[in-house]
Amino acid sequence: MNRIIVCVKPVPDPKHWDKVSMDPETKTLKREGIPNIMNPLDKHALEAALALRESHGGEVVLLSMAPPFAKTTIREGLAMGADRAVLLSDRVFAGSDSLATAEILAAGCRWIGGFDIVLCGNLSIDGSTAQICSQLAEMLDLPNVMHVTGMEESGEDNLIITQKIENGYVKLFSGFPVVLSVRKEVNKPRYIPFTGILAAESKEITMLSNKDLCVDPERIGLKGSPTKMAGLEVRKFERKKEKLEGTVDDIVEKLVERIYQCGVIEC
Amino acid sequence: MEFAFTEREEMLRKAVREFAEAEIPPRMEAMEETGEFPMDLLKPMAQVGITGIITPPEYSGVGMNYVARTIVLEELGRVCAAFPMALQVHHMACAALNDFGTDEQKKKYLPALATGETLGTVGVTDPSGGSDLIGMKTTAELKGDKYILNGRKCFITNSHLSDFWIVIAKTGEGAKGLSAFIVDKDTPGAKLGRKENKFGLRGANTGEWAFDNCEVPKENLIGQEGQGLTVALKTISETGRTGMAATALGILQAVYEEAGKFANERVLYGKPISTLQAIQFLVAEIYTQLDICRLLNYRASWMKDQNMRCDTETGMAKYYTCNAAVEAAKKAIEIHGSYGIMKEYAVQRLFRDAMVTVPAGGTAEVAKTGIGRAALAPFKK
Amino acid sequence: MDEKRNRDVWVFAEQRNGELHDVSLELLGKARDLADKTGSKVIAVLIGYHVRKLAQTLVNHGADVVFVADDTRLENYRLLPYTHVFESLIKEHGPDVVLIGATAMGVELAPRVAARIRTGLSAHCIDLKLDENGNLLQVVPGWGGGVVATIACPDHRPQMSTVMPGAMKALPEEEREGRIEEMYVDLPDSNMGPEILGIERVVAGEQPLEKAEVVVAGGWGVGSEENWSLLEELARLLGGAVGATRPPVDEGWAREGQMVGQSGKTIRPTLYIGVGISGVMHHVVGMDQSKNIISINSNPDADIFEASDVIVAEDFMKILPPLIRELKSRVKSWRSINISEEK
Repeated sequence: MNRIIVCVKPVPDPKHWDKVSMDPETKTLKREGIPNIMNPLDKHALEAALALRESHGGEVVLLSMAPPFAKTTIREGLAMGADRAVLLSDRVFAGSDSLATAEILAAGCRWIGGFDIVLCGNLSIDGSTAQICSQLAEMLDLPNVMHVTGMEESGEDNLIITQKIENGYVKLFSGFPVVLSVRKEVNKPRYIPFTGILAAESKEITMLSNKDLCVDPERIGLKGSPTKMAGLEVRKFERKKEKLEGTVDDIVEKLVERIYQCGVIEC
Repeated sequence: MEFAFTEREEMLRKAVREFAEAEIPPRMEAMEETGEFPMDLLKPMAQVGITGIITPPEYSGVGMNYVARTIVLEELGRVCAAFPMALQVHHMACAALNDFGTDEQKKKYLPALATGETLGTVGVTDPSGGSDLIGMKTTAELKGDKYILNGRKCFITNSHLSDFWIVIAKTGEGAKGLSAFIVDKDTPGAKLGRKENKFGLRGANTGEWAFDNCEVPKENLIGQEGQGLTVALKTISETGRTGMAATALGILQAVYEEAGKFANERVLYGKPISTLQAIQFLVAEIYTQLDICRLLNYRASWMKDQNMRCDTETGMAKYYTCNAAVEAAKKAIEIHGSYGIMKEYAVQRLFRDAMVTVPAGGTAEVAKTGIGRAALAPFKK
Repeated sequence: MDEKRNRDVWVFAEQRNGELHDVSLELLGKARDLADKTGSKVIAVLIGYHVRKLAQTLVNHGADVVFVADDTRLENYRLLPYTHVFESLIKEHGPDVVLIGATAMGVELAPRVAARIRTGLSAHCIDLKLDENGNLLQVVPGWGGGVVATIACPDHRPQMSTVMPGAMKALPEEEREGRIEEMYVDLPDSNMGPEILGIERVVAGEQPLEKAEVVVAGGWGVGSEENWSLLEELARLLGGAVGATRPPVDEGWAREGQMVGQSGKTIRPTLYIGVGISGVMHHVVGMDQSKNIISINSNPDADIFEASDVIVAEDFMKILPPLIRELKSRVKSWRSINISEEK
């Protein structure tokens, strides 16, 4: 194994999501006072990378596109065991949608270079677009697999990947380099060891701006994002309390519909 | 003056909280029911670094300081106080060996404790009494190259879970008449006694040992013969008291969280009871006590880390925090009303656990004797 | 924008093993609605091998035209070949809107296609509207549903969306006229990504309570062990688990480990169905973080209704047997994948 890049994202801690409000002036989310955590699925991605390194050697590099405060979250990834980190931070990146973000992360991957695998979480809990894996791979012109629940190395430079689909699993055989995104079933991430906290203090976090990456300014930030925010609404959490009435047949029909809308069954 | 935790300390707290919140709750029901400590978590705790936190790296430990240890114990105690109870005594064994043990003893025992091969334990108290150390009845008589131990030890935390025991016994008279030993649990004449059935800290194992002509090799003496009182007092006052105080601090934090959560969830007269001033006052008192205790705890640990004499401060932290945890838990039960005495709610357990911390590791009165001596010293003529 | 631009609304007709995914039919319903507003066509894109037979079903659900890319190399879904075919068709015909189901396949394929074309893609849409200029407004949930954003893609075409299964309604199937067009499939010889070693079908088994996506819970009101078996049957049908309040455990209808609440387990399933549960605080604290809560209780003033999304104030014995019958006739043997997994 050569090098594994793990994409990590600091996200607002869901325990504090009830504190989210909207700035009526700027129409942006106010997230003051909400601590950041590493996106939970990214921890699974990092665990997968650390496990591969332990059995096959190589280097694990964290990659994040975020404001400088992300260093705290990245430090946690280093404490878990990653070797070093690259933080892509620049005002011109602000407002990037998934396409522009993928463009920037791809430039980060090329800057690091020499990798066999890029690993990410299947989605982030805040934006939840689940688009980075496929779009990053497209920018890097590499194959990718999402919904990964298992991976084992096969020979020197191949992986056997288990991918979860609706009613089962697909086993895939892939060469390197490849971009993968994992589901939580893939592993149980290790806890941060205290020795790792000490070790992380001397590990390097390389800060890069677009001066280093030189991505076409037309392709990043708000300008480089095809999708635009046309409206934003914070929903205060409330139960709907919808009363089903009518004959038994009416009620049963509506119940089936409501159950189906929860997305737990296929009718 | 600096009152903030460092980035390292913040990350440590986050790391141990994540472990505690994920791993401990699924085991708590069984702990309450059986009174057994979940030994299956010992290795995972060792992997994280909880067992070896104060042990130097050359003996497979983490080598962090007492402020860090207090953070870890507080966070474990916030979820389930039986854990810091068991671990703080484990740390006492680590500290006694590290401070007074020979190189051979350290090499043999410290890595086993740090890597979770076994839990550590220390037996000081005789059935004749705990606070009166010099009056203990357990004896160790030197015969050839062996000490022969006779007597009983009681109220020992982790008594039935350790492969080797640190035992204080009488080798002479007076303050220089005590010595500390390492006793392998399989030594002929060393016997496990009863397991206690406590009403709080139920998941922490407490029990007795008996010694019946138990032959301990001379090289198992910790430090010098006659140094036992020093070993016991230093370990109890620095490691034991800070540990008990941190256990109670964790309980206090949990009490505060339970009280606040319930006050906001419970609706009476159409509003959450947190809008009632009577309830606000109770929560304010709990919150203030929590803050006082947190300051006492971390100041005492910080002094230990600075190699300052801190027996008065650890005594203050120990007696005050344990009492405050009981008082706060009682207030939290009052906030809960009848729910507070139901097993479904955590506050009743927090109250029981807090009560058990009061006599454990030295009563408030013993601590106050020392504090009083220090307080009055400047006025002595 | 190029000249070939039209207002056509495309739907990716997802199939595996020759079986259409229901979300594709739902998307056709929505696409029909959008296309009728702008006077344009609905086009379904069907990719696979021996899948022509599915085309008429797509027409019958609202497609005007079905593009069929049928090739032995497309038999099983593989990301890169499918991306290539889909992208080529989009580039050639220039649709205005492309809708794709937010399924395991859709959420992998859509972003790759969008990136190759360099257009915008909104994810996991729950609603789609047109603004006054006929631009697509895409409503997406974020932050676990606590924030709802409206996304537009003003300067790029096509406007692409993945849409949550269940969010749109399919038109009833009826005989319709439509054109079925065979597409020429041209796949490059270059690396087409990971090869499929095998596909394993798994029918979801019984789930442990804490992990179950669906929990059917019963209380004192269930009344007897015999009635309790109805809950078990409903849970089985939904691939879920059975939970309980304290009384059913005391009565021996349920096991201790099934208890939900203060002294039992805390659960956060996607769907919680409470049967004969009054809703004392003990129990509610263990389930109130469920995503969707349906409560059935004959007492119209039951406290649990305050914490519910859907309220049925009826005797459950009147509701459950026909509900189970109805579900049995409609539920397929497998459950859908949870794409929007959290935490």
